[in-house]
Amino acid sequence: MTERRFDRTARRVLAFALGIATFAAHAQKPAPVPTVPPPAPPEEATPTSPPPAVPPPEATVPAAPPMSAAAESIYAAARPGLLQIRTLVEAAGRQSSIGSGFLVTSDGLAVTNYHVVSQYVLEPKTYRLEFARPDGGQGKLKLLQIDVANDLAIVQLEGAKLPHLDFDAAALADAAPRGERLYAMGNPLDLGFTIVEGTYNGFVEKSYNPRVHFTGAINPGMSGGPAVTQAGKVAGINVAKRLDGELVSFLVPASKAAALLARAKTEPPLDPSHSRDEIDRQLIVWQGDFYHALGEQGFRGTSLGPYEAPESAAPWFNCWARTNADQTPKPRAQLDSTSCVSQSSLFIAEDIETGRADVMHAYVRSIDLNPFQFAAYVSQYYGAGSMIRSWSRKRLTQPECHEDFLERGDGATYPVLRAVWCARAYRDFAGVYDVAITTITQDREKEALISRLSMQGVSYDNALTLAQRFVGEVAWAK
Amino acid sequence: MGEVMTGAYLGEAAIWIEVLSRHGDVATRQRFTSTPITIGRAYDNDVVLDDPHVAAHHLRIVRSDEGVLTAEDLGSRNGLYLGRGRDKRSEIALDGDHDLSIGATMLRVRTASFAVPDEQPVIRGVRFWPAAIACIAGVFLLAVLDLWLSETTEPKAIRYFTPLLIIAGIVVAWTAGWSVITRVFRGHARFALHFLIVSAGMLAFSFYDQAAELGAFAFSWTALTTTSYLVAWILLGAIVFAHLVAVNPSRIPIKLGVAILVAAAGISMQTLKQGEFRSNYGQPVVLNRLEPPALRLVSPQREAAFFADAAKIRASLDKARTEEPSGGDGFADDSDD
Repeated sequence: MTERRFDRTARRVLAFALGIATFAAHAQKPAPVPTVPPPAPPEEATPTSPPPAVPPPEATVPAAPPMSAAAESIYAAARPGLLQIRTLVEAAGRQSSIGSGFLVTSDGLAVTNYHVVSQYVLEPKTYRLEFARPDGGQGKLKLLQIDVANDLAIVQLEGAKLPHLDFDAAALADAAPRGERLYAMGNPLDLGFTIVEGTYNGFVEKSYNPRVHFTGAINPGMSGGPAVTQAGKVAGINVAKRLDGELVSFLVPASKAAALLARAKTEPPLDPSHSRDEIDRQLIVWQGDFYHALGEQGFRGTSLGPYEAPESAAPWFNCWARTNADQTPKPRAQLDSTSCVSQSSLFIAEDIETGRADVMHAYVRSIDLNPFQFAAYVSQYYGAGSMIRSWSRKRLTQPECHEDFLERGDGATYPVLRAVWCARAYRDFAGVYDVAITTITQDREKEALISRLSMQGVSYDNALTLAQRFVGEVAWAK
Repeated sequence: MGEVMTGAYLGEAAIWIEVLSRHGDVATRQRFTSTPITIGRAYDNDVVLDDPHVAAHHLRIVRSDEGVLTAEDLGSRNGLYLGRGRDKRSEIALDGDHDLSIGATMLRVRTASFAVPDEQPVIRGVRFWPAAIACIAGVFLLAVLDLWLSETTEPKAIRYFTPLLIIAGIVVAWTAGWSVITRVFRGHARFALHFLIVSAGMLAFSFYDQAAELGAFAFSWTALTTTSYLVAWILLGAIVFAHLVAVNPSRIPIKLGVAILVAAAGISMQTLKQGEFRSNYGQPVVLNRLEPPALRLVSPQREAAFFADAAKIRASLDKARTEEPSGGDGFADDSDD
């Protein structure tokens, strides 16, 4: 029980609104809004759709007109390049989720989020993609490339000499000034295209996958839309927001979109029937980099009571401590724990999230429990840990475990451990697994260190290597 | 025995007509000293039966010149049968060992010379109560011990009382059930014996359960606890068998069969249910309770051996991922955000 609550704290803090597109589908249900957005009022501001959508140069100078006026002209300039991207159920012909996107070339290449098109990517026979433009134009979309790690996709619509947006040079160099005003655009909740003012706040420090911290209101349905500078150049792509904060939103850096666009231009388009293999390939590459980096950064020992517990030295971990000392009724064993969760979640589908690693340590000592009761208390933390939460048998195999007592090195340096290794495989993707190893020290009757390393979307070999290192670092304090 | 020879007529021993209950017990018994004896529903018969399937004049018992007793059907609609046989007979020679069946009634005809088996010895001094009370006390003691040793939160009396009351309730209801059955078939309830059987069975399981928990930890052998339900069902089969024998010690093979059936049905049901649960909620099989480290008897695995075993799981996961998940699109998610 206690551990659950613990996990929950970590999760709430992490709660990204990644399911933006499908959430929008639910949110718009009560209101039978027509899928084609009504023409926006400032129609007179967009007579210049065919030429490149560049706002007047005055807008970029520091002594700008009032912000609302700037937003008005930026929106007017960018609007023709915006798209609403809809995933339709092939059989019903109705939308099951919506998101946004924007044109980046005159021949119809457009950028959006992977999660906006993920239903189609995973089930190309069940879904199809369509776009709607602010002027009412609609049509089919072709999927060209995806980038799961950066939550991006390149789609293509038929057409030539289309209005489009360009990337911001400073953003491409990942050198945009903090505090710069950005304007996020998209079609929130299927209500029509909107523009939102906000601020660029640099890269999220603890995120493994680079994300821009944008202080502004991104809402469901705006995913995949552009966030542009005052010059109307794309600095990032709307991707997520935090549910536990206000106006804390995230953008994918423009440089990642530019890189994927370059790939889409040169490489053959993704074959929809093999898109799972492509995701699999990307996951394996991603986890190779991530867990290699994790290993490179290594573990550093933290003292917990008489024990030394390994914590990752990598910077992408969010760590929280917890104690039960202040609980009522007074606990019969004191538990002090630390939990570090990597900010590296990957959205694959609504029911598959992966890419996270976490390290948990709990130092427990008996207050008035006898050795049997203490062992029973510690047993709560034994097992597969958070692995059994949010389990979908469509996506994952049943976990299998190996457990035994474990002896390392000479008995003088390392306490004997009770260890359990649990692993499960992803049904859709070969070669990636969720793995958790939990150890409990077995040297004292009324004191124990519980340690757990959980790895999502990891290759079996990487999991074995990292777990072995982790276990090797659980020791008595020097 | 001497009475046999003092019958009123020379060579004609007295004849007993016994009407049997459905379970073979004697319901009524009438003595006759002369033949023929008529049996039927009409009131001019010697033996009057109220069975609506019996004819007004259904059966006649006669003695031949050679002294052989014979039952003759008097032309009834439902006829005469030997025991539970299916062949209609017009007459049956009587030997005292076989029953007759007319309509829905079973009859037995015996002469005074019929030899009865030796008396069964009365076992005195076997007292079931003390043993039964000792067993149930043991069950309670083990239950309390288990509850106490796994108590990790604020001690509360209710945690102890509820399980004990449940155990007591089950034992009483179970014993009462078997006693009623025994009372119906045997005439007396044998409450103490049934009480002893169920308490001894429960005590055996409590011991096994505790030993399995400790053994699973001490020898790092999780299967001991995950298979303890097998032992529970086998014990239940044994208990049912003991109860059945206590009701009536005849037809042992049938009772053994019933006991095996109970155990097999229980085991297969629980195995299926467990498999279903695991595939619905993705629960792995791991030890569910640790014990104090001092109870470890097995020597620990070396690190390399542990990870070599961990690596072996991979093959079975790779095999499982290609198999279609059983059942529907099970989705277990208790997240609340």
